[in-house]
Amino acid sequence: MRRAGAACGLGAFLALLVPSAARAADAEVTADTAAQFYDVRSPTGETVLNRRRLTTTLAISAYDLLEPEVGDPTAPTLSFRARVRYDADFGINGASVDPTNYANFVPGLNQGGVDLMYAYVEGRRFLHGWLGFRLGRQYVTDALGWWSFDGAQVTATTPFFAKAEAYGGYEERGGMPLSTARYESDGVWRGDRSNYDPSLAPAFQPAAMAPAFGVALESTGVTWIHGRLTYRRVYDTGASNVTEFASGTYSPAQYDGARISSEKVGYAMDANLAQLGGVKAGVVYDFYNAEMTNLYATVDAYAGKKVTLSADYDYYVPTYDADSIWNFFAGEPMNDLGLRANVNVTDRLSVSGGGHVRVFNVQTGPLDPGNGSAYSPYTNYAAGQSIYPTNGHPFDEGGNVSARWRTGETLVTLRGSGNWGAEGDRAGADLAAQHVFETRYIASLRTGVWQWNDKLQPDRSTTSFNYVLGVGYRFAPRSQALVEWENDMNGLVGQRFRLMLWVTVAVTK
Amino acid sequence: MTLASFLRLPARSPGLLLTLLAFVLILAVVPAALAEAPPVPLHGLAPLANDQQVPHVLLPPGSLEPDDGPSDVIFPPQHLTLRFNHAFHLKKDLGLTCKNCHGAAYRSASAQDSLLPKGTACDACHSTEHDNLAAVKPGDDASGQCGFCHLGYKTADGNAVAALEVPRANLIFNHKAHADRNIGCAQCHGPVEQLELATRDQLPRMRGCFHCHEMPDSASRGTAKSACDTCHLRGDAKGGPTRIRTLFATGTLKPPRWLHNAEHTPDFLERHKLVAADDSAFCANCHTEDYCSDCHDGRVRPRSIHPNDYLNMHPVEARMEPQRCQSCHEQQSFCLGCHQRAGVAESSPTAAKDSARFHPAKSIWSDPPMKPGSHGFEAERNLNACVSCHTERDCVVCHGALGVGAGFDPHKNGFLGGCATQMRRNPRPCFVCHEPGDAVLGQCR
Repeated sequence: MRRAGAACGLGAFLALLVPSAARAADAEVTADTAAQFYDVRSPTGETVLNRRRLTTTLAISAYDLLEPEVGDPTAPTLSFRARVRYDADFGINGASVDPTNYANFVPGLNQGGVDLMYAYVEGRRFLHGWLGFRLGRQYVTDALGWWSFDGAQVTATTPFFAKAEAYGGYEERGGMPLSTARYESDGVWRGDRSNYDPSLAPAFQPAAMAPAFGVALESTGVTWIHGRLTYRRVYDTGASNVTEFASGTYSPAQYDGARISSEKVGYAMDANLAQLGGVKAGVVYDFYNAEMTNLYATVDAYAGKKVTLSADYDYYVPTYDADSIWNFFAGEPMNDLGLRANVNVTDRLSVSGGGHVRVFNVQTGPLDPGNGSAYSPYTNYAAGQSIYPTNGHPFDEGGNVSARWRTGETLVTLRGSGNWGAEGDRAGADLAAQHVFETRYIASLRTGVWQWNDKLQPDRSTTSFNYVLGVGYRFAPRSQALVEWENDMNGLVGQRFRLMLWVTVAVTK
Repeated sequence: MTLASFLRLPARSPGLLLTLLAFVLILAVVPAALAEAPPVPLHGLAPLANDQQVPHVLLPPGSLEPDDGPSDVIFPPQHLTLRFNHAFHLKKDLGLTCKNCHGAAYRSASAQDSLLPKGTACDACHSTEHDNLAAVKPGDDASGQCGFCHLGYKTADGNAVAALEVPRANLIFNHKAHADRNIGCAQCHGPVEQLELATRDQLPRMRGCFHCHEMPDSASRGTAKSACDTCHLRGDAKGGPTRIRTLFATGTLKPPRWLHNAEHTPDFLERHKLVAADDSAFCANCHTEDYCSDCHDGRVRPRSIHPNDYLNMHPVEARMEPQRCQSCHEQQSFCLGCHQRAGVAESSPTAAKDSARFHPAKSIWSDPPMKPGSHGFEAERNLNACVSCHTERDCVVCHGALGVGAGFDPHKNGFLGGCATQMRRNPRPCFVCHEPGDAVLGQCR
């Protein structure tokens, strides 16, 4: 009886998901494949890595799973999207992934990783536009960054120019099945160490489930002003090595238990007056570190219909996963100030450029832990003996210029930039052009000259010239094959070549 | 002496003299009169007589000042081969309204419908017969002649007139729905009754749409929703079936600068995060996740971001703008993994480890006391650069509080003020350097 009830319940649930009046839903299959062949030399020329990489993705999507009313853009929609990726480096030496080969083993290195980039069912505009949801692996993008989790998200859109969003699940983490480390907070070397001896690379932490939840409040409807307030908390769980010297000095020790990984609140907004200009701003506060970690603002002034003048400000403090020791280190904030302009010279030609100054912070005297005394009970040298920089605000400066000329079949871009600072200089420009002949034959060229001066390692300064030639064939609107030949010439590598093959296929029903 | 005698004209010919005088007068006055008289206005050839510039007040609502006209992408360029004077036809004494000629607009549910009047609409007044377009009959008077309305028409052309090209708008638009809500034509097209020829310039501006279309999806049925796909076509050759279609024969649809400040300028790559962080759903109207992930979760170097021999160039940029690296790369996996393989990381496997020293001389870089050039100052300036190459073990060797750690305190200014909260919420990093029973931890308990 209970089984029958469960079956009925499941059937009812499926009936909710599957429209009774089946209709020709749109479906799409896309695949991208890139093969790369090149060698990498270590900075001192001792190690040469062979890169024989194959990256391929396969995506399937189905749209309009519900039958919308014809001509009603407010009708509810249901769709499914998924994309899986295989990223292999066949140049990896087998010894590098063999945990028993201590001399060559690189923890976390994967010869052919497969990850599920996203896979979710999405519903929009249910309950007369009030309800939206996503279920599965999905991205969240807002002031807190670009993030991925497995779980559910529900959005309630009110008629009062505001919508509320709540989500929960597990953060995508490296070392977990079908996952990458791209979306976890930085600062922890983490991965799958299920086959490792506990004494092997104890700093390489075992990956574990990371429960997460978040809420957001966002304006909606009005187009000249918009804001999103967002809060997110992520937990670390499972065991973590806390004794880094398991090979001898200490016995292995672990810390276990649920604990904060990150907890942040962020707000971003923009507002515009079409005849005057606009403003954008955002702020992020980190509850674990109890400090504002990012603040940015930009003001745009529309000087006539072709010119936009802008001023930018960006404040940033590096922060890490709460499991990381580096949150406690003296990482100081950076402040960026910039000015830029964009000119739409003609309908086809636009030019942008600007300059910025980045101001860093370093101590100019002994640190104060907060109790009025200088550090520290352990320090085996007197902080007073240190010689501190006289300038607490070293800065770098830089600028960039970009130009784009576009017609229906031709795109030409120029992008130049320069950065100058105490740690190094970098300046150069790239010119790229692509032309499509007869809507299907593709020819592309990219060339550039760059100079960089590595002031920490002057022998690694050089001038580099490079060119990339490409030819391709577009056999359908979104399907094409492309071959690219790249040649870099500079004093560090001599001549380096790179061959790339791209194939993109998209089939839509 | 008379004029006649002066000119040696016969005295008996005063009539001749008068004729001569009249001729001189005509020669002198008529050309002057012709020169000063205003030219006959050429009505119906342009929005205003003599192709005067249309003042902003006569443009559709939402027009900017100065105005570039409607989008070529949405409203492809037209080729108008007709002369027509809306202002004349809509004069009160004629009793005509928009509906007389554009009645189809009141019934149209699609932007693909033709809303221009047929020639037969003109027949009643112009005494023409457009019933059979293969054999149109002109009217009796001048206003009924083909050339009166059809530009460039010559009698020798017979029944052939120049083609009128008014491409359909690349939009979803329901005229009937708007008309049913008593939204007048001028509310979108401006005061056409004050203009002669109606051109593309009288087609709606998106800003004008937003005067009403500012409502959320959940607003009551029939109200003007602001969602992009309320008006913009879906199904792009680039973005997939659910995204806004952006590629058209007349160009690529891109946001204007006044919409979320999202103009896709050549340097948009540098500043697009400002838009995405605020309203990523706005980006998602045109772009799928794949468009973002190809760079932000990229496994193939995008040359537009990492030009030239970036592999050798990247250390300089990484030291200068580390947070930009973090927007795509996780340092403890992406950066560290490659640095270990290349032998430049402290934790590289022994067989791969580079024998050369990566950092400046030890006497400057790490020997106490700290001095300018010391790694401690570099870490303060840019801690991310350290994290991209070192595991925490590398740091604990010296910064651990007891045992192997040499006891160099790395904590930041004011650390004690918040360490109790940090330790309560996640004590794990504390225990990396401190023994659980370490008395100094009492300051943070």
